[in-house]
Amino acid sequence: MQDMSGPLAAIVGTEYVRGLGGAVAVAPGNAEEIAAVLRLAQENHLAVVECGGGTKQGWGYPVAPALVLEMHRLNTLREHTWQDMTCTVEAGCTWAAMQSGLAQHGQFVAVDPLWPDKATVGGIVATNDSGTLRQRYGGLRDLVIGMTIVLADGTIAHTGGKVVKNVAGYDLHKLMIGAFGTLGVVTSVNFRLHSIPRCAQSFTVSATSVEPVGRVMLAMLHAQLSTVAIQLRGGADGFDLDIQLASLPEVLETQAGALGVLAQGEGIRLRAAADEAWNARQRQLDADVVCKGTMLPSEIARFAERVRGLGGESVTQAGGIMIAGFPVAAAGQLMELRRELEEGGGSLMVLKQPEETRLDCWGTLPDSLPLMREIKRRFDPERILNPGRFLGQI
Amino acid sequence: MLSANILVELRNAVGAEGLIVERNQLQTYECDGLAALRSVPAAVVLPRSAAQLQAVIRVCARHHIPFVGRGAGTGLSGGALPDDRGIVISFSRMTKFLATDIPNQRITVEAGVINAHVTQRVTPAGHFYAPDPSSQTVCTIGGNVAENSGGAHCLKYGFTVNHVLALEVVLPTGEMVHLGSPTLDAPGYDLAGVFVGSEGTLGAASSMTLRIVRRPETVQVLLAAFDSISAAGHAVSDIIAASILPAAMEIMDRLAIQAAEAAVHPHYPECDALLLVEVDGPAAEVDLHMKQVRELCRANGAWEDRLAQSEQERLLVWKGRKAAFAAAGRLSPDYIVQDGVIPRTKLPLVLEQVAEMAAATGLRVCNVFHAGDGNLHPLVLYDRSIPGQEEVAIDLSIRILHLCVDHGGSITGEHGVGREKQQALGYMYSEPDLDTMQRVRCSFDPDNISNPDKVFPRPRLCGEKTGKYSPHPLETAGVAEFF
Repeated sequence: MQDMSGPLAAIVGTEYVRGLGGAVAVAPGNAEEIAAVLRLAQENHLAVVECGGGTKQGWGYPVAPALVLEMHRLNTLREHTWQDMTCTVEAGCTWAAMQSGLAQHGQFVAVDPLWPDKATVGGIVATNDSGTLRQRYGGLRDLVIGMTIVLADGTIAHTGGKVVKNVAGYDLHKLMIGAFGTLGVVTSVNFRLHSIPRCAQSFTVSATSVEPVGRVMLAMLHAQLSTVAIQLRGGADGFDLDIQLASLPEVLETQAGALGVLAQGEGIRLRAAADEAWNARQRQLDADVVCKGTMLPSEIARFAERVRGLGGESVTQAGGIMIAGFPVAAAGQLMELRRELEEGGGSLMVLKQPEETRLDCWGTLPDSLPLMREIKRRFDPERILNPGRFLGQI
Repeated sequence: MLSANILVELRNAVGAEGLIVERNQLQTYECDGLAALRSVPAAVVLPRSAAQLQAVIRVCARHHIPFVGRGAGTGLSGGALPDDRGIVISFSRMTKFLATDIPNQRITVEAGVINAHVTQRVTPAGHFYAPDPSSQTVCTIGGNVAENSGGAHCLKYGFTVNHVLALEVVLPTGEMVHLGSPTLDAPGYDLAGVFVGSEGTLGAASSMTLRIVRRPETVQVLLAAFDSISAAGHAVSDIIAASILPAAMEIMDRLAIQAAEAAVHPHYPECDALLLVEVDGPAAEVDLHMKQVRELCRANGAWEDRLAQSEQERLLVWKGRKAAFAAAGRLSPDYIVQDGVIPRTKLPLVLEQVAEMAAATGLRVCNVFHAGDGNLHPLVLYDRSIPGQEEVAIDLSIRILHLCVDHGGSITGEHGVGREKQQALGYMYSEPDLDTMQRVRCSFDPDNISNPDKVFPRPRLCGEKTGKYSPHPLETAGVAEFF
């Protein structure tokens, strides 16, 4: 392959181009430079991988890039119009840096992703990561109100806007969320913001069998309580249900009482949650084999038990998104687990595995795959952006 | 005109009773809620099932016949306006409830099911369907999906797109696909997210799985009277700044109050600005939040603040608000409803500028808006029988939309672009932005038959970079004009 360092340096400056294994890493400073880099890549058919904090590069099928597009120079919280509760942030900004900026006015983007100190806005959007706050606030598709994106041919496009309510044109930003960077490079994101709850309390109920905590969880979805987050943890030692309530101080006390009564109905006692309870999802990622499963809420308890039976541990947000860690020995059973989940309208994605297990990471292909391929073809005809990473090897 | 062969194929698809070709019956379908634009379709089909819908669209795909879906025809931007060479697919016979799953808070319905019927269906189980456009007693879920409909309560609960989990869609090519899934985070591109709000340009949905929401324990609605819109607007900002997220916050000006009062007698206070604030949730929390809301209203000069005292009174308050558009007919023989959005904090400034612009034209503008999310519905009042006044009214309403964009907002918050605001979309987005959207449209609809000549500033064919503007037949016929 020809040496691209010269032409790349001409675009971004010598100090922002370096060798990285067999590839070239380039760190552009703005959307225009990204556009120029992509045009060069398209002309030369170079496979490009976008990289923020690098925390989730192993997700999806592996890609051997010729060019690594490093996003760390686009790291500013560009606008925080706190009176309107919206913000514009560059894609290379870490989640934690963005949140600390927003917190100056008591606001936040109501998502709790993995590794917030390292993971960037762009990477979190590309992988559609979300945590337990989804119960109350929805996911990224509910909170992103606009974006700037650069397509493979260097087109710089804006989608959505800076107002929460807006139905003008297609919501292209929804297409970019969870697309693993295969359709374009997100350079900045506009978010709808929420106020950080001033008073919140977390509780845990535990049992050795899953049924009672599962019933409390389902009851919580229908209860008249100010619930912010719910997760069910399961493993060898039993099952724990963590619940966070947020309201005014005088209301919280009454609600905690009501929650206690609810748990008591199942014969289990309510206690204050341990601080590290809400980090449980992230800890699952240390396992040898890690999967993301999706299921209906009513199936969570059953699958948490199923994972335990395979020697694994799981943390599931009450909306039905599970992160499960397994020992390598369980790998042979995971395709059967996938079949069971898919049968119920869900899915199983393998996020992490050792080389020898060779599990397909995406699962059964949807009937809309040809349409997805066609969109990819029109956005990135030369297949330079993360080629092969997405499902169906898109 | 469609050829006899094509009519036979359509009849085979939906049966003789599902095909309308008589001119006088076709006229029923010549316009939607934007009655200023009319065009009689070549035929109307009324499928009874997803299979019939697919059969119809296959005929369209085979013969390149433009089609447009139609629910109840309540859309306000001409989205369901027929093409005179094409067919209308009416969903009035696809009204089945396919599945209800209360434990998982989901319901699956056919596209022709009426919005309010979904709530009725799940009310006994203590749930409701949150998006509540003012036309909810007649409009259909399929139309809501096409337009990404909102409503007063989307401030807290979100829009249609936040409540659609999965869709069964017949693509313009005639294939049937499933977008999204009943579970969250289906692997693959979020095509359901793109389809919702695409205004019928990406295909026709036959059924959809919706999220339903637990009914709140308590609902309270406050009527607060102010001496100016700007004072009411400040109260709204203060409520938001106090970390309170009401279910709805609406402002009506004196003209709108008069109109609503004349139409449904909701007993609104007579004032220059009426702020309605609805707070819902757990009872104890609602009580405390409402206490704060009332204090903030008084601090901003509210001289009356009363709570609706019964569920009946609360419903009457909303009936008055939801009747506001239609009631404008009592103020003026003709009016244009607009749908701009601005950042909430720009409210006082923009309304002042709108008032100045209106004064300069001599026309009255009546204001009803979703204050919580900055969605304005200025009603430009005029009289068509006075020569030249309609043109002035149209011009004013476009300039109001441009003003919204200039202040960092949008040309439409819930009514859609349709035929009405195609040119304004070009004011809001640049050519590269629109070209990128076209890549999506062409992926779904390479032959440009699914509600063509809507949304985008000018007709463009797939593969064409920048098309030359060609006037619509309606324009050349002098029947309508783009604005």
